[in-house]
Amino acid sequence: MIRTFYFLLAIGLVCSAPVLFAQSKSDFPRGPDGKPDLTGVWQGGSTVRGSWDEANGGLGVGGSGRNPNAPATPASNDRPAGREAAPYQEWAAKKVLESFNKRGIDDPTSLCLPPGVPRAVMLGLYPQKIIQTPKEILILYEYMNVFRTIPLNAKHPDDLLPSYMGDSIGHWEGDTLVVDIIGFNDKTWLAGTGTFHSEDLHITERYTRVDKDQINYEVTMVDPKVFTKPWTLRSTIMLREGTRLEEYVCAENNVDPANYEQLLKAGVKIGR
Amino acid sequence: MTKNIFLACGLAGVVALSAIPVAAHHSFGAEYDANQPVTLTGVVTKIEWTNPHSFIYMDVTDKSGKVANWKFEGYGPGVLYRNGWKKDVTMKLGDHITIFGWRARDGSNWAHSREITLADGKKMMFGPPAGTGDGGNTPAVDVR
Repeated sequence: MIRTFYFLLAIGLVCSAPVLFAQSKSDFPRGPDGKPDLTGVWQGGSTVRGSWDEANGGLGVGGSGRNPNAPATPASNDRPAGREAAPYQEWAAKKVLESFNKRGIDDPTSLCLPPGVPRAVMLGLYPQKIIQTPKEILILYEYMNVFRTIPLNAKHPDDLLPSYMGDSIGHWEGDTLVVDIIGFNDKTWLAGTGTFHSEDLHITERYTRVDKDQINYEVTMVDPKVFTKPWTLRSTIMLREGTRLEEYVCAENNVDPANYEQLLKAGVKIGR
Repeated sequence: MTKNIFLACGLAGVVALSAIPVAAHHSFGAEYDANQPVTLTGVVTKIEWTNPHSFIYMDVTDKSGKVANWKFEGYGPGVLYRNGWKKDVTMKLGDHITIFGWRARDGSNWAHSREITLADGKKMMFGPPAGTGDGGNTPAVDVR
């Protein structure tokens, strides 16, 4: 029994040593202004350190898939286990549920529309690249080839045209980058099938680089037209050294919406 | 021994991976049935290396000698490239391969691919797991 304990302890120490070392070292670079430099290629929605290959097991993102009866890996439009329900008003919750029951065939991204925020940040299948300067931070998302510009210590323009990715401005609070986003249109989903919002959506993001490999990400969504209270989600964004962004031209061969139509026309039940 | 420890740590890492939310461009469950897994062997006749999803077409011969052409959907080229696929190198027209996936809901010769066994026996992932992008098992809101 005692031998088993020491064996498990040894395994634990061996496996966690690189992690503990990385965390205690706090060896991430800083910009000329002394702030954490977030520049690099990152993977959202992951907790695993290492290169893209190491972190994704060589299987491709999303588990083995060998057992068709195993639960599906959560997608960017799934509700992860343990996450509390989104605080929608009753009428709005019914609308969210309608999309869920249709298995998300009304997902705006199935029409190749931009994913919006925080969906673009939290998804894991595609990398995102952060480019940081003292005056402005840029984030390029491979998924749908969208981008955000985040001027620092700036004000939102007063003539904003509603947009899919919104208008971002940022400032530093200690070592945390705080980003304020307004100016959204109402055509994206937030974090889960059917999680719609209004043009009044106001998002606050907090990016805290805790060590070389990891950014802690917290996002709070406020939208009095659809929510009963602010909705906050937390996840991690992991550094993927050696990974580069590829092109993603969604309109090239987007046959899925036509497939939905064809199946419905043929009388195949595609909802829940 | 060292190798085994690293293998154990690596497997632990793969288990931790299950928390990753993947991007879902479209609903798996609307088009495909996770309760209809299928494994087919045949000859590659066409590869569409396209966004948002790639397609493989394969001639499958049944026991009576009848040939049917099947269509399999998979990841887009950027994801495939990062997962180790090289266009026109990893898999070529005429290759004998085996595909594991799930059949389309309409019962036609159309499926969603997951794992491909290449002509040289190497196994590689060509598409996401069943259920990707259809909302999972729990809606974002609590059902009252």
